[in-house]
Amino acid sequence: MIRKAFIATLACALLVAGAARATETIVWWDFLSGGDGVRMKAMLDEFNKEFDGKVHIEATTLEWGVPYYSKVQTSTAVGQGPDVMTYHESRMPLGISQNVLSPITPDELAAAGIKGSDFSEANWKAAQGADGKQYAVPLDIHSIILYYNKDLLKKAGLLGDDGKPKGLDGVANWEAALAKLTTKDVAALSVPNDGGTGWRIFYTLLNQQGGQFLTNGKFLDGDNLAKGETAVGEMQKWVKSGWTPANTAYPASIALFTAGKAAMHINGVWEVPTMVDLAKKGQLFDWGAIQVPALYDHPATWADSHSFAIPNRQGNPVDPAKRKLVLQAIHWFNEHSLEWAGGGHVPAYLPVQQSDAFKAMKPNSDYVSLAKTAVFDPVSVVAGVASPVYDATGNYVIPAMMGEMTPADAVKKMRDDLQDQAK
Amino acid sequence: MLKSKRAEYFAAAVLMAPFVVIYAVLFVYPTIKMVELSFTNAPLIGPGRWVGIDNYWRLATERLFPTALWNTIYFVILSALPSTLLALFVALGVNRLKGWTQSVVLAAFFLPYILPVSVVFRIWDWMFDHDFGIAQYLIAPLNGGQRLSVFRTVPLFMPMVALVTIWWLMGFNVLLFIAGLRNISTEIYEAARLDGATRWAQFKRITWPLIWPVTVLVLTIQLILQFKIFDQVYLFTQGGYRVDTTMVMVQYIYRQAFQLNKGGLAASASVVLFVLIAVMSVLQYQLLRVRAQR
Repeated sequence: MIRKAFIATLACALLVAGAARATETIVWWDFLSGGDGVRMKAMLDEFNKEFDGKVHIEATTLEWGVPYYSKVQTSTAVGQGPDVMTYHESRMPLGISQNVLSPITPDELAAAGIKGSDFSEANWKAAQGADGKQYAVPLDIHSIILYYNKDLLKKAGLLGDDGKPKGLDGVANWEAALAKLTTKDVAALSVPNDGGTGWRIFYTLLNQQGGQFLTNGKFLDGDNLAKGETAVGEMQKWVKSGWTPANTAYPASIALFTAGKAAMHINGVWEVPTMVDLAKKGQLFDWGAIQVPALYDHPATWADSHSFAIPNRQGNPVDPAKRKLVLQAIHWFNEHSLEWAGGGHVPAYLPVQQSDAFKAMKPNSDYVSLAKTAVFDPVSVVAGVASPVYDATGNYVIPAMMGEMTPADAVKKMRDDLQDQAK
Repeated sequence: MLKSKRAEYFAAAVLMAPFVVIYAVLFVYPTIKMVELSFTNAPLIGPGRWVGIDNYWRLATERLFPTALWNTIYFVILSALPSTLLALFVALGVNRLKGWTQSVVLAAFFLPYILPVSVVFRIWDWMFDHDFGIAQYLIAPLNGGQRLSVFRTVPLFMPMVALVTIWWLMGFNVLLFIAGLRNISTEIYEAARLDGATRWAQFKRITWPLIWPVTVLVLTIQLILQFKIFDQVYLFTQGGYRVDTTMVMVQYIYRQAFQLNKGGLAASASVVLFVLIAVMSVLQYQLLRVRAQR
């Protein structure tokens, strides 16, 4: 009797163990909080539900920026860390130099159904190292956009019949529009006065002039310096002329816009959920968002990309079977990235980006054009999110914007500082 | 006799062993490694090549390190002594209160101390926000009607961070002073009063000399603590506005190690800070003790 019970128990235990083994676990790290975090969590739930009993993703969200990348670096060095992680494409040059990323072979990509041709070329290439190897698969393209208050623009005669702003292209038009929009109580444009946003605007204006930030290891070389000066000078003019409020912290700049105290607002696409949620609650005016207007020769917008990468865990690599699973999961997330686009992002995966469902999605489809002329961060270990380039913008460009130094001085100091740090 | 002495030593060794082992493994060994690392060009993780005193030379000739060094010293000057004196002042006041009023007032002064630094940052950042901060109603009239972003005004940055720090950490110092003041026997004051001593004379001749050891202790703790300033400066310059101008030493180390992946250079800056704190605290403690013994 006892023996029978023992055998039954053993059999049960084996069954449970067998069932448990059938579910593979993928350990996942990301840095997505706020609206992004909510959306990613919903997608993860959906994934886990769909593959219930087969694959389970165990996700952890960590602090964005330097803390995240430090943790990734230190844990991979001792063979710890996740099976898959989110990574900014702009941060990849540093990541590759730190030996944190594991290259993904063409065979592995093909096996999972991931094709380079399903992504825009610049986007796909930004996930490659100097050695030509693929280190990540992009999920989205995110950029800065121009948010606008339709009521205020209409009043100033700057709203077209299609509900989009008109007459903002070209410096002269842009400045005239800003002047027209500025009244005693309302500023024309609010922007967060921090290094991050400063860089995104500066880089956008620089590239619209055809300028390059980094050429052959040299920052702002040749006539790029003058183009940089023009960009900073333009930003300074916004504040000097009273079109843009000075010393605005990140949250305050959004609040100025949502409170109707600023007619337009430049910020990342990731603030789209903020506006959507407020509008849903009936607490926001009629609003819209478009690609940042081309002030100079041609349209261009700074862009970065959230991508997926496999960490190069020292002495404890992610085993081939797990890698296969991870890549399949990555592909699943790209196929389902329409949901991710709800966070304001442009899906990197072209079949979704070009789908009718995405084209019907507002306001994303109003600014999706930016993806075609997106310029990614310079490829350098001192560039990328939360990098010395961001800091340098906070140290020189923003003070210049506030009128604390001349644009010429700012770009020169920025160049010298970065050149020194890149040594 | 000899045997019991040996037994004493044995007991001492057994009692101290756990601490000594932990101290050696978690402090002495890493410190030696850090000094070693400071002579190499190692990245944050992994070995590096021996480069002699290159890192130290770079620190001396670099633009940012002297700024960080000066800002740190400036911050210590702004925070350590004022917070000690202010705490003594408050403690003298609180000590005069009796019963539950004393408890309530003491609790009020202590409350900020239990807050995490992130909360402290949120409170002050919110109050002083340039566009929506409640403190702007007080600042604007003083600034000719213009709102002022105090944390973005470079000359005001360090004094403001020092003020926040003093507000945040003073409670603990007050507590130490109160404990010290309670240790002074009331009989001494009674005797002094009988002899007709004024309150000022009582403070000068009784309270001040008897509270001196506590003052030295508080000042030393403050000095060591404030040299390690990082959190507040890091938080208040979040988003990267003029980080370089307001950089402090620990922040410089953090930036070199974690942002720029330069482990060797970060180690050499750490050695400089370590030596600086060690020398300053020993020097200060000795100086103040000598004064007390005179």
